[in-house]
Amino acid sequence: MNLPEDFVFSQGNLQDYVDCPRRFELKYLRRQRWPAAEVDDMAAFERHLEQGDQFHRLVQQSLLGLPEETLRSRINDDEVARWYDAWLANGLAEVPAQRWPELTLTARLGKWLLLAKMDLVAIEPGGAALVLDWKTGRHQPRPERQAQRLQTRVYRYVLAEAGARLNGGEAIDQTRIEMRYWYAQHEGDVLRFPYDEDQYKADGRFLRDLAREIDSCEVFPLTEEVRRCRFCVYRSLCDRGEQPGSLAEWEGDEDMALPTDALDIDALDEIAF
Amino acid sequence: MYLLVKQQQVARQNLDRKIFLEGLAGTGKTTAGIERVKQLLQAGVPPSAILVLVPQQATGLPWQDALRRSRAPGSAEVRVTTLGTLARELLELFWPLIAADTGCAQPLAPPRFPGLELSQYLMRRFVGGEIERRDYFRGVTISRNRLYTQIVDNLNKSALVGFPPEEIGSRLKSAWRGSSEQAFIYDDAQACASLFRAACLRHNLIDFSLLIDILRKNLWPLENARGYLTRRYRHLLVDNLEEDTPTLHDLLRDWLPQCHSALLIHDNEAGLRRFLGADPAQAHSLRALCDLGVTLDRRRAMSVDVAALHHALAKTQGREAGPMPKGGNGRAAIRWPGRARWHPQMIDWTVEHVARLVHEEDVAAREIVVVAPFMPDALRFALQTRLDERGVPHRSHRPSRALRDEPEVRALLTFARLAQPAAGLAPDRFDVASALLSAIEDLDPIRARLLADALYRDGGLLPFEHIRDTRLQQRITFQLGEKYDRLCSWLARVPAEQPLDLFFSAFFCEVMSQPGFGLHRRESAGATVANLVDSARNFRRLLTELDPEASVTADYLRMVEEGVLANQYLRDWELDRSEGVLLAPAHTFLMSNRPVDYQFWLNVGNSGWGRRVYQPLTHPWVLSRHWEPGRKWLDADEEAAGAESLANVALGLLRRCRKRVYLGISEYGERGMEERGPLLLALHNMQHHLSSGAADV
Repeated sequence: MNLPEDFVFSQGNLQDYVDCPRRFELKYLRRQRWPAAEVDDMAAFERHLEQGDQFHRLVQQSLLGLPEETLRSRINDDEVARWYDAWLANGLAEVPAQRWPELTLTARLGKWLLLAKMDLVAIEPGGAALVLDWKTGRHQPRPERQAQRLQTRVYRYVLAEAGARLNGGEAIDQTRIEMRYWYAQHEGDVLRFPYDEDQYKADGRFLRDLAREIDSCEVFPLTEEVRRCRFCVYRSLCDRGEQPGSLAEWEGDEDMALPTDALDIDALDEIAF
Repeated sequence: MYLLVKQQQVARQNLDRKIFLEGLAGTGKTTAGIERVKQLLQAGVPPSAILVLVPQQATGLPWQDALRRSRAPGSAEVRVTTLGTLARELLELFWPLIAADTGCAQPLAPPRFPGLELSQYLMRRFVGGEIERRDYFRGVTISRNRLYTQIVDNLNKSALVGFPPEEIGSRLKSAWRGSSEQAFIYDDAQACASLFRAACLRHNLIDFSLLIDILRKNLWPLENARGYLTRRYRHLLVDNLEEDTPTLHDLLRDWLPQCHSALLIHDNEAGLRRFLGADPAQAHSLRALCDLGVTLDRRRAMSVDVAALHHALAKTQGREAGPMPKGGNGRAAIRWPGRARWHPQMIDWTVEHVARLVHEEDVAAREIVVVAPFMPDALRFALQTRLDERGVPHRSHRPSRALRDEPEVRALLTFARLAQPAAGLAPDRFDVASALLSAIEDLDPIRARLLADALYRDGGLLPFEHIRDTRLQQRITFQLGEKYDRLCSWLARVPAEQPLDLFFSAFFCEVMSQPGFGLHRRESAGATVANLVDSARNFRRLLTELDPEASVTADYLRMVEEGVLANQYLRDWELDRSEGVLLAPAHTFLMSNRPVDYQFWLNVGNSGWGRRVYQPLTHPWVLSRHWEPGRKWLDADEEAAGAESLANVALGLLRRCRKRVYLGISEYGERGMEERGPLLLALHNMQHHLSSGAADV
């Protein structure tokens, strides 16, 4: 058995496994750090991630009730300002008023837990139950591809499994659930993925089987899709190339890219006097 | 899980009340707290409404691990965090509402968080020149970095204790009864602290002290910000309250009345982080705000023999020892070494017994800890190499060496100097040879030196073909020459002014970790270089914002050489959960809050057990809330503080020991000096109590 008893699955680590089992092993089981660049233009990439962070914070601040004009007047990046204006225009269109920003939910997945960190969950009593995710990447995927992404499958499944506490203690009927992606770089285009009982059951089976497979697999093979390795930091560790791929071709998820800076405030006792 | 009746009062009952839970370490307080969280979840409390506050991340690990292991729905969602992290979250979210009132000069710009590593750099940048100009700290014989650390520490204490930073110098001076020269040094410390604070405000730099200051003065009084926490987290649990600071205690005075339930956990006879502002006395005063007080007094961790040992040592230390544990034999819980004259013999003895426990008695390596008052590089290295030889897995909460001392990092720093001649920091020939040795697989020191001698010219590397002597070419071999050329041509293509972090990352990935090169599949080297990349990236991002004209590369390389930057630091995701024998300073182990079966106490004769670290610019007692203004710090205070510290550490260790303690003693210490420190004396005195205690059995 590969997984420690306290292992927690997420859309991120499951997607990594599906993309490349070896990547999953290195990143989550061996916690291997490897200092390669994800893309060729790291300066632009870094800036893009910072913009994404700034935008997500703005939305959270707005949802917390900070005044729009105060927030808007402090944006010093034209692109972020455009995204924010687009979000103000339609980011919350048809979004129920009961809202839980930056919500974390967990559901059981076999012997383990499955955790989802959602940008926003909004529920209409007796009506729609939405999971919203703000996307700031340049690339807007085809709907059929996005439907297969683990994020789409995991978030809806977790809300169906663990959303009762947001719904007066009643489990949320799957047919009320919808996953909605909102694309900042595409003037607030939206991809919607409704849910139903069949899909819920299929997701449950798929996710449980996947977890069991990960726990029992004897070897974590490298992905057969070698083009993925260009955007993987482990490529030189796996002898899968030297140069990173082009930022223009990067289709990854900004949520799973660079780690945020660890705050070493809590490591105060590490000071050597 | 089996719980004692008193634990059940906390864990399974009174879920809507505020409880003050106290007792010695190892009596099951944290266990009861973790069970309470599970019970709250079972009772339908949303995990997002539960907050567990701990003084530092490491103290939170037992909570996180236990909650995750329970696999109870919602258990992984419960937040376990520190005041510092909450403060930063609040500041980032509510900055637009408070910026204008913080004193920061750029309220429309975002705040910047330099972190510990960069605070040292900023201290040097903002204060270093003034120290030189005004000849501050004349007569103080500590390194510049330690001096900076203590200035930062003074600012932190002013924020955490809650007095104005302008009072640092006067408070320290008023307690000083020695020469007037030292009193001037406190003036210097005040001047530097004020300069640093002013510079931080000028540049929106929120170091830890300013963060806490803003939390107290701006965020907590703001209803939006305070309510963000108090409305969200209705069920509070605070562990190791005695190790936390007056700022947290003040916040709790406001917060507790608004909570639906609370559990405050207090370790009696602790206060191990006093040097970081912990205030056990104030922590205990929060008991008055709780509905119910529960005291756990039955040992859960210590065996009856260790409890007898604890009893004897407590009596020796003049602590309340309680009744002698029935059936306990303290002598059975302690191993004295044979006659060890020299320090290396003590290390050999230690490793031999650790290996015996692991290999012959099937003790899990994670159930053994080796502690010392300090864990300097030499001691750690000696232990690690000997444990490796005996096949004993080990781990260390602090890395063995500063980042800049790792060979792969030194190599990268040298190649950066070669690739960026504009920085004007050409390496010397010896460093070039060492770097080539690290970078090229199968290259030996002699050939590396030959390459450097023949091809390192005017700050750059010439191609292999520049060696005209065919015998020398053959001696080095064309195969190695080809790799050398590949490396050189890569360096020649590096764009001028490429940021250092990107250079490190690309050179590592595209050259050094490729087949045929020195770091190919070297996983530990990858982790080390990742830390270097982080350090360089953080530095670049901060410095380019502060001073767009600055020479980032040259500054970074200089700061690393001077030891200001790239001292390894622990990242949260690296917090050690591995299985080996833990090698750690005693304080680090104590704060990890996990008992083990076997402990090895090294350098028992060292005076570091029970003596304050030499900190001429700061003072944890004088800068606390309890110090009477104008009172002098006397020798008797120093002695009492030392005795208290020794008792807290030694008894605290025993309370976290289940089976046996091994004492590592040598007549002569690491520096060849005879050592008879207070712990050794206490243990000798304790033997008398152990003998007489036997009669109680």
